[in-house]
Amino acid sequence: MNNTVLELENISYKYKNDLILNKINLKINSGEKIALLGKSGSGKTTLISVLNGTIKPTQGEVKLFNESFEELDRKQKSKITTIWQDLRLIEDLSAEQNVNCGLLAENNFYFAFKNLLNISSFKKAHKYMKLCRLHNSIYDKKIRKLSGGQKQRVAIARSLIQESNILLADEPFNNLDPKLITTIKNLLLENVDKNNTKKSPKTALVALHRLDLLNDFDKVIGIRDGKIFFNIKRNNLKKIHLEKIY
Amino acid sequence: MNKLKLNYTSLSFLPILVCIPLGYQLINNIHFGGFKLFQEFLISAFNPKIDNEIIITIIKRLNETIFIGFFSWLVSIIFGAIFGIISSNIFYKIFNIPKFFYRIIRFFLTIIRSIHEVVWGIILMQIYGINFSIGIIAICIPYIAVNSKVFAEQLETIDYKSFESINQINAPKFSSLLTLIWNPIINTFKNFGLYRLECSIRSTVILGLFGIGGIGTSIFLSFQTLNFRELWTYLWSLAILIILSGLIFKKIKFNTTNKILSIFFITVFFVTILFSFSYFLYFIFNNNFENFNFVNSFFKSSSDLGLFVFLKLILETIILSLLSTGIAISLPPLVIGIFNNNSSKIFIKIFAFLLRLIPTPVILLTLLTFNNPSLSLAALTLGLHNAGITCKLLFTNLDSQDKRNYIAMNSLGISKKTSWLLGLFSQQAKSYLAYCAYRSDIIIRETAIVGVIGSVGLGWQLKESLSSFAWQEVTIVLIAYSSIAIVGELINGKIKNSLT
Repeated sequence: MNNTVLELENISYKYKNDLILNKINLKINSGEKIALLGKSGSGKTTLISVLNGTIKPTQGEVKLFNESFEELDRKQKSKITTIWQDLRLIEDLSAEQNVNCGLLAENNFYFAFKNLLNISSFKKAHKYMKLCRLHNSIYDKKIRKLSGGQKQRVAIARSLIQESNILLADEPFNNLDPKLITTIKNLLLENVDKNNTKKSPKTALVALHRLDLLNDFDKVIGIRDGKIFFNIKRNNLKKIHLEKIY
Repeated sequence: MNKLKLNYTSLSFLPILVCIPLGYQLINNIHFGGFKLFQEFLISAFNPKIDNEIIITIIKRLNETIFIGFFSWLVSIIFGAIFGIISSNIFYKIFNIPKFFYRIIRFFLTIIRSIHEVVWGIILMQIYGINFSIGIIAICIPYIAVNSKVFAEQLETIDYKSFESINQINAPKFSSLLTLIWNPIINTFKNFGLYRLECSIRSTVILGLFGIGGIGTSIFLSFQTLNFRELWTYLWSLAILIILSGLIFKKIKFNTTNKILSIFFITVFFVTILFSFSYFLYFIFNNNFENFNFVNSFFKSSSDLGLFVFLKLILETIILSLLSTGIAISLPPLVIGIFNNNSSKIFIKIFAFLLRLIPTPVILLTLLTFNNPSLSLAALTLGLHNAGITCKLLFTNLDSQDKRNYIAMNSLGISKKTSWLLGLFSQQAKSYLAYCAYRSDIIIRETAIVGVIGSVGLGWQLKESLSSFAWQEVTIVLIAYSSIAIVGELINGKIKNSLT
């Protein structure tokens, strides 16, 4: 049975005269947890942006559940959630309002309106913020007043609240201390819902720099100069692989 | 020989050279017959007329002014925000609308904005007669376009990455738009909204001088009858209104996290939109439009405006704008720099306040008591009024500036004037020039007001053409006006961008 959820077919992406992604073919199967390795500027962020539809590739096709990404409707596209390296939170909104933004896809305009007026329910947002170990004293604080680690966790809570089956994350463990990294890593990969109960396995592609975090991943992809150098099971990862990409 | 090096500081002073040709023409045009009147005008400032009758008139007239000013502000700020949204990049990105529409809307708003409210007022009065609501409509038309520009500029500052992030969540498009624009809109309203209310009140006063009603009409009538004591009573009452409103505005703090207040603002927002539309429909159906058929009148009218005269009027308007801008830029730093002590500062602040307070037509009419109408006189009037505004800004910026450089230079024995110039003003010169570039946009539009009264440029021609119902001429003059303002805005935009 074909259980591919995301597929890249011969993807290239050119920005000005630079070829950022070069003929990438990739299949991500349901429930797979993939670590994406590569040095800075290797094309990790661009690859994630192509996978979530933010960037249109210059060449090739992105498929979600075997259908072209272009042809999917809004609801289908919302099955992917992304944690960006630069977080991309709305600085003027409070932490809880930002987390509630994750619910915009499943709600109507009135919800967005109530969220901005601070009269919507923040119950769900608070539960996910609590899971991310965010203290309730920061819930109503504006993003620009939070520390780097707090912002990181707000971005993660915003992503988790979407309860999407596919997670794309670009260095999500930045700014976090070792204890928090373990907690957040479990949250991201084990697909727990707001009641802390496990659900169907989550598909995840996470860009990483730290090799000590690879244990929880099934597969490792190495990328260099916009090309995939290896796509192997974690257990098969050798020093020689890493030397190719770093 | 050393070459002259231009920097922001010297560029702030250089435009004062416009005073050479200007002074020459003013001296040649002087007549001494009206000095007594001018003297009487000045003395009356300290001896305004105060009795029961005038106080009742003031209350009535100020009520009218506040009513017109407030409603035109409310409508223009709300519709300004709406047009600001639909003329911003983010709107077209979210809804995937071709950029072609973005350019059309922006161009349309630029044309609307380029014509001063007084011009709109005069045209509308000519068509519909003197009507209370004409004042509101005349202010609203250009103000909506001006406000929309400010809102759109703020919306352009939205981080593209925030847009991508919200877009990736795949929320409904209206939810995404609202979430992204909410805070820039609120912040623009907080920083800019109340200032626009003050502008709206000032515009009401100026339109009043042309017969719309309110305190402006009383000011004009008392000037026409040379009743200067009464005139000053109205001016001082206007000053009290502006000072009081300024104090109230400073106290007002918008708390967007206050739920009741937010709901109140939203209610006002929708009620104003509904009210404006119903009023617009009422206005359409209750005016006898058969009296005015533009197409018919346009083709029936003829234009006697020769090409040479027309080009001369355009040139006069451009020169008028340049001379006024020169005065508005250089006069404040020059005066503050020369009279750089605490007591002089108070005097300059009062004088600048009076220049801002007294409407330009009244300043011009006062100067006309001892000088023949000329381009220089109109330029001086417009320049002085705007110098009052740039002076206020300069004082505000200088007062809030770090004075350590100035103190250090002073302690080295450098003269007070040089220390002020190099230690204080030089740090402000760049931002001051950027503001002056923005101000010169307004000066170009304001040439219409002084033109109408001071027999100069296209403003004067517009009045003449309107009086004779020469609609072809009116259209030509308006196109010329609009073109000058748009070209001016483009040039000033480039200057502003290079300075910020």
